[in-house]
Amino acid sequence: MRSVSMLAYNLTLAMQSFKRAPSLYFLVVLTLSIGVGLLCANLALVNSMASDPIPEKSEQLFHVSMNTWPNDDPQAEPFHILRYREAMKIVSSDIPKNSAVFYASGVYARDSASPSLKRFDSSVRATTPGFFSLTNAPFAYGSGFIKSSVMEVVIGHELNQKIFTGENSVGKVLELDGELLTIVGVLKPWRLRPLFYHATEGRAFNLTDDIYAPLETSIDLGWSIHARSSSTVSYKGVKFTRDRDVFYLQAWVELENSVKKQAFQYYLDNYSQSLKDVGEHPLAIRNELRDVNAWLLEQNIVDQKVLAFTLASVLFLCVCVFNASSLLLSRFHSAKFEVGLRRAIGASNKNILMQGITESALLGVIAGLLSLLLSWLFLKLSTKFLPDLENLAVLEPKLLLLGVLLALVTAIFSALYPLYRGNRYTISAELK
Amino acid sequence: MLKMNNISRIYQSDTIQTHALRDFSLNVNAGEFVAVTGPSGSGKSTFLNVAGLLDNFDRGQYELDGVSVQGLKDDELSRLRNEKIGFIFQNYNLIPDYSIFDNVDMPLRYRGFSASERKRRVEEALEKVGLASRLKYLPSQLSGGQQQRVAIARALAGEPKILLADEPTGNLDSLMARQVMEILHDLNKGGATIIMVTHDPDQAREVSRNVQVIDGQLADFRVYAPLDRQAEQTGKNTSAVASKNVNEEVVDA
Repeated sequence: MRSVSMLAYNLTLAMQSFKRAPSLYFLVVLTLSIGVGLLCANLALVNSMASDPIPEKSEQLFHVSMNTWPNDDPQAEPFHILRYREAMKIVSSDIPKNSAVFYASGVYARDSASPSLKRFDSSVRATTPGFFSLTNAPFAYGSGFIKSSVMEVVIGHELNQKIFTGENSVGKVLELDGELLTIVGVLKPWRLRPLFYHATEGRAFNLTDDIYAPLETSIDLGWSIHARSSSTVSYKGVKFTRDRDVFYLQAWVELENSVKKQAFQYYLDNYSQSLKDVGEHPLAIRNELRDVNAWLLEQNIVDQKVLAFTLASVLFLCVCVFNASSLLLSRFHSAKFEVGLRRAIGASNKNILMQGITESALLGVIAGLLSLLLSWLFLKLSTKFLPDLENLAVLEPKLLLLGVLLALVTAIFSALYPLYRGNRYTISAELK
Repeated sequence: MLKMNNISRIYQSDTIQTHALRDFSLNVNAGEFVAVTGPSGSGKSTFLNVAGLLDNFDRGQYELDGVSVQGLKDDELSRLRNEKIGFIFQNYNLIPDYSIFDNVDMPLRYRGFSASERKRRVEEALEKVGLASRLKYLPSQLSGGQQQRVAIARALAGEPKILLADEPTGNLDSLMARQVMEILHDLNKGGATIIMVTHDPDQAREVSRNVQVIDGQLADFRVYAPLDRQAEQTGKNTSAVASKNVNEEVVDA
């Protein structure tokens, strides 16, 4: 009860102190909030780049890279894209709980029942049915397709908003590049940051796709490959890739434990060995399974420039703390008499310290709230000048909390030296 | 109430050592009103600072209301200051943007009293100095004498064992000084122990005992005047109590 009463008293004193020197305290708050705001804005970018997009099972999802290039040029590094035949070998295995192979494509989409001829340029993920379970794709309506060769699609929230104004569009028919496909599922708003299932070719921070179409259907319809592909032969289109040395499919598997991972590794290695035995490739057997975070690390998706700028903003925050500390030192020096008086009439060093810390904590909370606003502004400015950052510039709740905490800590830290100096004098000296 | 034995206080700068108090000994009994006089720089204020636990001392023993202060930690010294000592400063030392109520309330905040208890004590203390109707005034809205009375109320609010006054009338004209001295005498009659540093020989003469400090030591123990003003009116020159204290301190010295 007494401590609550003292806290209330200290808060009152802090408010009175702010009233006495509003300009000085405004400068302290502004200094700290600029420093914290800038750092938080950078941390927001780093957080988006470095965060785990699917923490509930990122350790169980593995990207598959294989070393089955049919000759020794290029060099013997496992390739992140696979031929159709390897992809089918992966899908046919019953070791993984889920597996997905896919490629990126694009079509123009419209509601086939609409009188409007307006079409929407839409990104397509041509994939096997296991994709939805593997990625925990969130369904708002319906479900995923269960076969790879049906005229069905799943669409994302944004496209559903654009074409069907967000209504339940399951059962409706889309015209995709002149072909009619029925919608069987609509996703909820879905953001993967980073987009782990397609983190290559600088796409780690793209949005999730507009349309998810069955792999075989997409190939049969000749929907072109909108991502990296490599081949040792010429081919006229995706329709002709099934039995050619065309590498364009990415593969992910869900392996629930190390035993299954080991088993699947053997499965891949045996397959590669069997190809090698019949002379289909000359390379060493080297197939790699990397879990989500290892795969993202491998792709170097955290921009080194952003990291360097974050480090610079940490140093800038240190300068801000130093400046705030200097301002508070002058403020506390001018309050020396009051400190002396309070100590003379019975306040202990601890009481004065708590009074100072309460004041600086209140400053910290105010600076924290302002820093959130400034972080938001910094991010808006960043995306204005660097549009590529659009999908990264997100202030998550944990970062908002971090911003306030950081401001609180820096404000208290700024006040420590002034408080230490303030408590070093004898009381009689303070009263002079 | 207050016992100092061979207290020394030395201020050390790079090249100079200043003995502000040298083997200073003084006993003050409960209910006494002691005036401390002496020339500027003689050590009066240092004595008052040491007595009020506002400054440290280097040697000697000091006992306040039965508590030996040597070796006490900061929070113990703070509690002693808060509970046993009331300060009255020459410059009043009121906080200008606090109301009269808040100024008097300040020491009570650190005692942990409830709001109602604090209110009762503040009102009672201001009543004693005749300012109960000015609770919401700011110090700047009061005369110097009234401000010093607020400072006295602040010193009284915690019901201390001893009042330490550092030239309490030094900044006041004679009329206001008279009013303040009346209050201090009334408090002393009510049982308060008071030690007052003053330059005014008339004020020193009015109190029960006057001690002189020269070069950081008690110079002599002349008693200028009768113990109290009543005694003055009856023409007595010294009191038995004063004589007893003088004898004790001569022995201590």
